[in-house]
Amino acid sequence: MSVQMVRLENVIKEFDDSIVVDNLSLDIRAGEFLTLLGPSGCGKTTTLRMIAGFEKPTTGKILLNGKQVDDMEPYKREVNTVFQSYSLFPHMTVFDNVAFGLKMKKVGKEEIKERVTKALKLVQLEEYGNRKPKQLSGGQQQRIAIARAIVNNPKVLLLDEPLGALDLKLRKQMQLELKHLQQTLNITFIYVTHDQEEALTMSDRIVVMNKGKIEQIGQPVEIYERPQTRFVADFIGQTNIIEGTVSEINGDLATMEFAGQTIQIPNANHVELNEEVFISVRPEKMKVSRTPFEGAINLKGTFKEKIYVGSVTKIVVTMPNGKNLTINESHDKIEDLTDTSDELFVSWKPIHSVVLKK
Amino acid sequence: MRSSFRKAYLLLSPSLFWLTLFLVIPVLFIAVISFTTNGDFGRIIYEFSTDAYSSAFSSLYAKVIWQSIWWALLATIVCLVIAYPFAYFIANAGKWKNILLLLVMVPFWTNLLIRLYAWIILLNNQGVVNNFLIKLGFIDEPLALMYSPGGVILGLVYGFLPFMILPIYSSIEQLDKTYLEASEDLGAGPVRTFLSITLPLTFPGILAGFIITFVPAISVFVVTDLFTGGKLLMVGNVIRDAFLVEMNWQLGAALSLLLMILVLLSLMIFMRFTSRKDRKLLI
Ligand SMILES: Nc1ncnc2c1ncn2[C@@H]1O[C@H](COP(=O)(O)OP(=O)(O)OP(=O)(O)O)[C@@H](O)[C@H]1O
Ligand SMILES: [Mg+2]
Repeated sequence: MSVQMVRLENVIKEFDDSIVVDNLSLDIRAGEFLTLLGPSGCGKTTTLRMIAGFEKPTTGKILLNGKQVDDMEPYKREVNTVFQSYSLFPHMTVFDNVAFGLKMKKVGKEEIKERVTKALKLVQLEEYGNRKPKQLSGGQQQRIAIARAIVNNPKVLLLDEPLGALDLKLRKQMQLELKHLQQTLNITFIYVTHDQEEALTMSDRIVVMNKGKIEQIGQPVEIYERPQTRFVADFIGQTNIIEGTVSEINGDLATMEFAGQTIQIPNANHVELNEEVFISVRPEKMKVSRTPFEGAINLKGTFKEKIYVGSVTKIVVTMPNGKNLTINESHDKIEDLTDTSDELFVSWKPIHSVVLKK
Repeated sequence: MRSSFRKAYLLLSPSLFWLTLFLVIPVLFIAVISFTTNGDFGRIIYEFSTDAYSSAFSSLYAKVIWQSIWWALLATIVCLVIAYPFAYFIANAGKWKNILLLLVMVPFWTNLLIRLYAWIILLNNQGVVNNFLIKLGFIDEPLALMYSPGGVILGLVYGFLPFMILPIYSSIEQLDKTYLEASEDLGAGPVRTFLSITLPLTFPGILAGFIITFVPAISVFVVTDLFTGGKLLMVGNVIRDAFLVEMNWQLGAALSLLLMILVLLSLMIFMRFTSRKDRKLLI
């Protein structure tokens, strides 16, 4: 069932003494949609290029379908790449671009025609075979780049920010199309992006990277709901990071002191007494009210401002120690909040506090 | 619309003026002279005549013209064969790139005449190469290294090789390397990638190099002068002799005009096969 398609073992990549990929180990299952997510310069492209064979790991092993490929040339690997800049050959027609990989494999003429036509149909551009890449829009070029890669039936498809150059609407549409395509063809996708929303929408699993290291691997829900590190909590979506000291431990629950008040936190990470801890609470898990909620955490603070952003209104509440918390509320609930000296309670359920590793 | 056109012309007018003064008018002069009648001691008699063209197309001169085209073409092809790998090497030489480029350009700063004299010392019947070969016993008689078409081709190749290298170099340099990676990614090895991607995408550089090598190579006369002592002729020699020795300005003008048409034709071929961006390679 879950065959390992790609395996990275303690891969390190250095460029002129600077470590760009730092001891990366990763197993990618066949048919999986795996996303490498992280800020600019964290080593996503370099990781992808090592899998494709354009860069050699300084140390460590890469296995494709169980075979070690460290010394295998890129053109011998059963992997295809969709480049960020598409890199369609400008002197060839769309048809010839898509046919290129098959020609290299010495596939028969009839079969080439058949498969290219099928691939072009798949990306809904079957009438564009005779055009040159320059005569296509960005979105169309992007699809041709995908067709050119998948026509070869690769075991693994590497995609380096393939939607980066498209406008928001087209990008959303292409995200769904790509995801659909991946499920239909059942190809392993390794997808690079620095857009967290894109990663959450499309992936089976997300690898969050920071400075060449893996911060967390998990399904989108895990990454969003249960971030393990401060970096992940901060990088994925918006969150409130609250810092405090553990004052009491009681089985599955612990209590932490924050700005002269107490917060119950789940003790899943086995905190210690008097330990400094960080928790992350998503703005949409919090509520504001003038009276405290029964059975919830209630922090007293003063109203600072509200920002209308369309789907929700963001309310900023200042805690006694000066720390600001941001809460998402629906607009109609808080229409009467105007006075900046209003005393408010910020409330959430203890299970929505996520304790972070430092 | 109209006013912006007028503005454009106004802006262009200084360059149009100089272009007319130094290019159009002289060419017109040559064209007119080529159709006049030849008088004694090079006197121009303003009577219409096509004599110059009949002699230009006579077997004697036609042969020289064809020979020039042939030699220049051959030299250009040899240049291309040498220059492409060389340019490819420079473009991929990393930190040595600039030094290698400089070495290619250094000869430009010395007159071709002087550099050709240096070759004479090497290739002469009593020159370094012949002496060396005789001493080693490979040959008994000195080889006519210079006084042969081969010598002329050698001189032309030597003289114009940098013209070929530079545009090819810059087209290889400008080639987006991700095309090569894409090709490799799709299963093409280094040779296939070179033939299917690199070569076609650097073709404008080859074409530009071809033109700017061929054009001066066909009209140069110092190479034949120095290497063959005037025994072998190219059209450049004939034109010069027509003007300066035979005092037949009409013939000189007619041959010049024919040469110019040849050059224009090759430029048109270049324009036909290249885009606006590629044409920058010529400059
Ligand atoms: N060929 C190279 N030589 C030297 N340094 C390099 C090379 N390629 C990448 N780097 C460095 O490695 C680091 C990681 O680069 P990489 O391209 O993998 O980042 P990335 O995560 O893809 O970022 P982005 O989101 O901006 O594309 C960067 O600091 C970059 O400067
Ligand atoms: Mg990148």
